Amino acid sequence: MRLAWAFRQLRRHSLRTGLAVSGIAVAAALLLDMVMLSGGMESSFEHMLLSRGFQIRLAPKGTLPFDTEATLGDARELVARLRLDPAIAAVGPVLATSVYARVRDSLLTLVGYGVDPLGQGIYQVTAGRDLARGDSLGLLVSRRTAARTGWRLGDTVTLLGRLDPQAAVAAVTRRFIVRGEADWLYDSRDDLSVGAAIESIQGLGRFPAGDRASLVMVKVRDDRAVDSVARRLAAGLPRVEVHSVAQLVRQFRTRLTYFRQLSVILSTISLLVAVLLVGTILTITVNERLGEIAALRAIGVSRPHVVAQVLAEGGLLTLSGAVLGLGLGLVTARYLDAILTSFPGLPTAIRFFVAQPVALARAGMTFLLTGTMAGTYPAWLAARAPIATTLRAEAE
Amino acid sequence: MSLLIGRDLTKVYRTDGQEVHALRGVSLEVAAGDYVAITGPSGSGKSTLLQLLGGIDRPTAGAVELLGTPLETLGDGALTRLRLLRLGFVFQRFHLLPVLTARENVELPMAEAGLTRRERATRARELLAYVGLGHREGHRATQLSGGEMQRVAIARALANRPALLLADEPTGELDATTGAQVLELFDRINRDGATILVVTHDEQLAGRTQRVVRLKDGRVVEC
Repeated sequence: MRLAWAFRQLRRHSLRTGLAVSGIAVAAALLLDMVMLSGGMESSFEHMLLSRGFQIRLAPKGTLPFDTEATLGDARELVARLRLDPAIAAVGPVLATSVYARVRDSLLTLVGYGVDPLGQGIYQVTAGRDLARGDSLGLLVSRRTAARTGWRLGDTVTLLGRLDPQAAVAAVTRRFIVRGEADWLYDSRDDLSVGAAIESIQGLGRFPAGDRASLVMVKVRDDRAVDSVARRLAAGLPRVEVHSVAQLVRQFRTRLTYFRQLSVILSTISLLVAVLLVGTILTITVNERLGEIAALRAIGVSRPHVVAQVLAEGGLLTLSGAVLGLGLGLVTARYLDAILTSFPGLPTAIRFFVAQPVALARAGMTFLLTGTMAGTYPAWLAARAPIATTLRAEAE
Repeated sequence: MSLLIGRDLTKVYRTDGQEVHALRGVSLEVAAGDYVAITGPSGSGKSTLLQLLGGIDRPTAGAVELLGTPLETLGDGALTRLRLLRLGFVFQRFHLLPVLTARENVELPMAEAGLTRRERATRARELLAYVGLGHREGHRATQLSGGEMQRVAIARALANRPALLLADEPTGELDATTGAQVLELFDRINRDGATILVVTHDEQLAGRTQRVVRLKDGRVVEC
């Protein structure tokens, strides 16, 4: 009965209630978006890194993966050594460089990935077939590359390398056969990517002599052993930078400190706005109904029940706003995410606003509780109103 | 045996730094089955006396005893409970909850007292039929006329079978015709065994009661 009563009380002043609920919805939407933002990038970054199951990255000393053009030398030997480690399930070297292709009259710049199909963690085949071991002619292209170039499965295509930018002349050309299409993990929305055997790409880039790799990805058999394996590799390979995904995520988190601080501040503001809205509306409502409340107290309704009734109205206001705010927040998040992820060079796998159920549930409960408790002061007003004085004032 | 005893009741208010002596040593006893009117000019202390006797307010001096229980010994919770179960109130301005129906308004004290939904609904229907509004139980309070609202308020006051019904100017907001209907209802309630204490400036109403207590300037001038 209490909730039905509370609902009808709120509906009594539908315009006022509607405006209050709208304001609470905006506050709820803001809170939702800030919660999604505060952990969104980090969560999507971690998800991107772990999407193929490789938990450790090896990069040139003093660098982060793909942060510079530095490369690891003697990559084949390093990979062979790692593959002998019983704790390691797979090893995937990656070599990245710019390659070029002539399409009609234009020269396209492509991201060329050299990979070892025996152990790779940066692409997923979506059409055709994967590269076979020893296939030096095979080429995988991204969907965007295929659309831009017109290349189809089975086509023989030419890639250019070591381009002289002034003369627009390539020092190296090489033919490939398109084996398949793939989604490339680290691609931004503007990237045109292709992948081939690491030795083939090695020949197209400006690299020091010897077999090179920009990055070596390592998949550990037991997830619980990742940190210990990373420490062991770091100790055993002093000229290599070893990062577990957890370490990379921590470093990434450090770079996002300002984002998180902003999220916390705006989240707090949203809660404050909700408290002020609910508190104000209920205070006005209670003041308008003091005579009614005094009469209820006179006929025997207890103070706790009066308090409970006011809190129920606050709870209902907050809940209504929260439900509306959920929808508004999700729409706003999608819109803002689309804007932010259009930043050039950002991998398409990265998201700014990510819905993490536990965090959202926790924020939702906090919002509901805070909004409901905002009715505490007006509930106290209602319960403490002197019955006789109030009834006398009503009669005058 | 007296149902209600008020002894030397005094009430002093402080308003804008000034003291207002609303009651000056008023004593009153009400026995079971009585129908008593408290009357007097405006400002004579009628409503104040009713509020003290009903446990809505505390006297500055004096004591009130209801069914043998001194009210000054009770805390707010116990006093509220006593009002709920042993007293029924009817106000000049009805004070029904506008968002509830007639039946829901009558059910309210019973819900507070812990009766089941079925018990509440049955008794509310009985009471509304008793006051002649059985056909209006589903109407919101705002859809009722003044006289109908007052009758619903009376039904609400009878919900928990009170030992004493207290009414403060029950016809104050009503026209003569509807006021007369309400007075007839009070007569009937008293004939059926209820004890009624009513505050009124309406001499017609006062004349229908068994006993009239007249107040002037906070004192009893006629009893």
